[in-house]
Amino acid sequence: MQMSEVSPIVLVIDDEAQIRRFLRTGFELNGFVVHEAGTGTEGIRAATLRPIDIVIVDLGLPDMDGSEVVERIRSWSTVPIIVLSVRSTEAQKVRLLEMGADDYVVKPFGIAELLARVRVALRRQSRAASGEPAVTVGPLMIDLAARAVTLNGTRLTLTPKEYRLLQVLAQHAGNVVTHQHLLKEVWGSIHMQDTHYLRIFVRKLRQKIEPNPDSPKILATELGVGYRLDYSGAETATPALATATTDV
Amino acid sequence: MPDAPKNNFFRKEVRGIALTLGLVAATTVLVAVIIWQIGLSSGTVAYLVPVLIAAIRWGLIPALVAAFLGVIASAYFFFPPLYSLHITDPQEVVNLILYICVAVVVSQLATRLKSQLEMSRQREIEMRDLYAFSRRLAVAFDVADIQSAIEDHLTAVMQQQVVLFSAARDNKRRNGTAVPAEVIAAVEGFAAANRDNATGVTVNASGGEVWLVRAVSPKSPEFGLIAINFGRHSQDDSDELRSRVDAALADATATLERLGIAHAINEAHMRSQTDQLREALIGSVSHELRTPLASILGAATVLSAAPALRGETKLQALVQDVRSEAERLNDDIQNLLDATRISSDGIVPRAEWADPADIIDSALERCRGRMAGHHVVLNMPSDLPLIHVDPVLVKQALVQIFDNAAKYSPPGSQITVAARARDGRMVLSVTDEGAGLSATEQPQIWDRFARGQRHATTTSGSGLGLWIANAFIAANGGKMNAVSDGPGQGATLAIELPVTQAAVPHMESDADE
Repeated sequence: MQMSEVSPIVLVIDDEAQIRRFLRTGFELNGFVVHEAGTGTEGIRAATLRPIDIVIVDLGLPDMDGSEVVERIRSWSTVPIIVLSVRSTEAQKVRLLEMGADDYVVKPFGIAELLARVRVALRRQSRAASGEPAVTVGPLMIDLAARAVTLNGTRLTLTPKEYRLLQVLAQHAGNVVTHQHLLKEVWGSIHMQDTHYLRIFVRKLRQKIEPNPDSPKILATELGVGYRLDYSGAETATPALATATTDV
Repeated sequence: MPDAPKNNFFRKEVRGIALTLGLVAATTVLVAVIIWQIGLSSGTVAYLVPVLIAAIRWGLIPALVAAFLGVIASAYFFFPPLYSLHITDPQEVVNLILYICVAVVVSQLATRLKSQLEMSRQREIEMRDLYAFSRRLAVAFDVADIQSAIEDHLTAVMQQQVVLFSAARDNKRRNGTAVPAEVIAAVEGFAAANRDNATGVTVNASGGEVWLVRAVSPKSPEFGLIAINFGRHSQDDSDELRSRVDAALADATATLERLGIAHAINEAHMRSQTDQLREALIGSVSHELRTPLASILGAATVLSAAPALRGETKLQALVQDVRSEAERLNDDIQNLLDATRISSDGIVPRAEWADPADIIDSALERCRGRMAGHHVVLNMPSDLPLIHVDPVLVKQALVQIFDNAAKYSPPGSQITVAARARDGRMVLSVTDEGAGLSATEQPQIWDRFARGQRHATTTSGSGLGLWIANAFIAANGGKMNAVSDGPGQGATLAIELPVTQAAVPHMESDADE
């Protein structure tokens, strides 16, 4: 994979030494360089002192809330941030995403899940930096420059709003996009509460892009939070994205 | 308007007397007509009719007025010499005296009858109030229930707006009754100062209303403080009302004491404290357990992918065991946390318009590992209506049902997941080919810690799953039901959620432009 050329640097901010240890081992086995911080203050300082490619932050830190860390880092940096949270806090997840976190992983989690999220966030970052116009998610390809969508090479006809919805999701491909963000981007801020718009258009969109709309593999639902464009056919999501970046 | 009650009393009397006057006049005309037409010698006896009517309808004074007027009218209109109060015939004088005696006795009898009737009606109302009160007490579960029953009872007894304050209730949040800030302040001051004060304090609220704040019972502080709205009254009137309140409260307190309310309140206090302690304990223990579990699970996943273990199938299997057992433990802890959430704070759903298909898909995704050995069939139309629910809660309820279906049905059997809209309801059902339910098990499965006797030794579980699912669905205004043809015949567990078609929001026509 392309990351092995230059080892990406990950900053882990968590007060639990055992969590930091397994994350360090997991990341190092996968070719990352790991920096650790046990408190929010330490973490924020580490993020300013060293070049960091991605930040993993736990929500429950002893000295400050994880969301404060997100807010403080976001005030001067666009570095991808992934939050570790516990379940039953959908409202909190939405707030974190709106504050600028790129994604979240629910505790307890497996290392593979976290690595997948990290790779997606890193890829998005590099795509944003290179101005890459095409996003491929499994059999679906969205050419953001040409405003063209193809499924297995066949051109799809989408309505303007369907395309806009897909476009916003594609810009964040792999990461979850909140309902509010989608509603604001597609229908404008006056429709921020109209989740039914989203439900109806997502349904229409799935009829066109999903091989089986009843069990979607491309446009995934994150209940209570938002949607994610992510091919879950197998562990192919990231390689598929990688090939897309090379051929345009 | 001051003196409202006194005013009312006089107005009622005056009205009675005025009506009596009319009645006597009408009788006079009637008697005159009868005498003129038929030629009867005297109509005095006819004046008993207005006396009776006045006694029954308007009370003693109008009745006596009617009797007196009857005498005057007879003497003036019918006894010679006519049109003079002078009476010549001694026989007529005797008649009149007899009439007066009868009239007075009749009016007294009639008014007594009337007051007895009113008293028994009043007693009936009181009995009904008391009955309703004791019935509410019988079903009261905690202190707040008892307090609100007392509040309503006192309101009924005193016919005034009554608000009860106590340590056990949230004094700021009153259901629908607006209590002026001055009264709240007085209650707080009163509670802090001196609880023995039985006379209480009057508060002039900003709206011009006069409130009395006092202890319900000086002897039993458990009953709390009471604030009574006297409305807009003068000081004199308040004094009168206060004595009425004293009497009513003495009665009410006697009732409360007879019913053993003080004991019940104390007991409910203790019960809720024990409950709170237990929930807090479960909550903190579960949280403490989950933290190391995250490390165990994470470390196991790192190990299973480690190059050192590649090809080591036996060690891999061990790591896999660590992982799956940790996941199971995590599920159990999550159930305990959910259970404490249900019984301590209650569930507050975050409702939004959700696609039932999304909820089912998320739940299936979550249970993919657990249901891997089963053949899952999905059966739903593509045009399901949207539902207004908390999708996360509904998903968690579904996960519990899937978990249950997978646990109690053999590997390789079929689990059918269906969704359909019917009669204004969305029904999500899960049918398995497993252990089924016996007639006795069927109603018990929703109970907390319910575990079927047949499975107690063979299948592990906390018995919380379906109880949690039921609570989550109830919080969304839905209900659950279970159908089974019997043990070994499989079971269908269904979630029913309301679909209010009228409430489904429409989309602006330019939404797709």
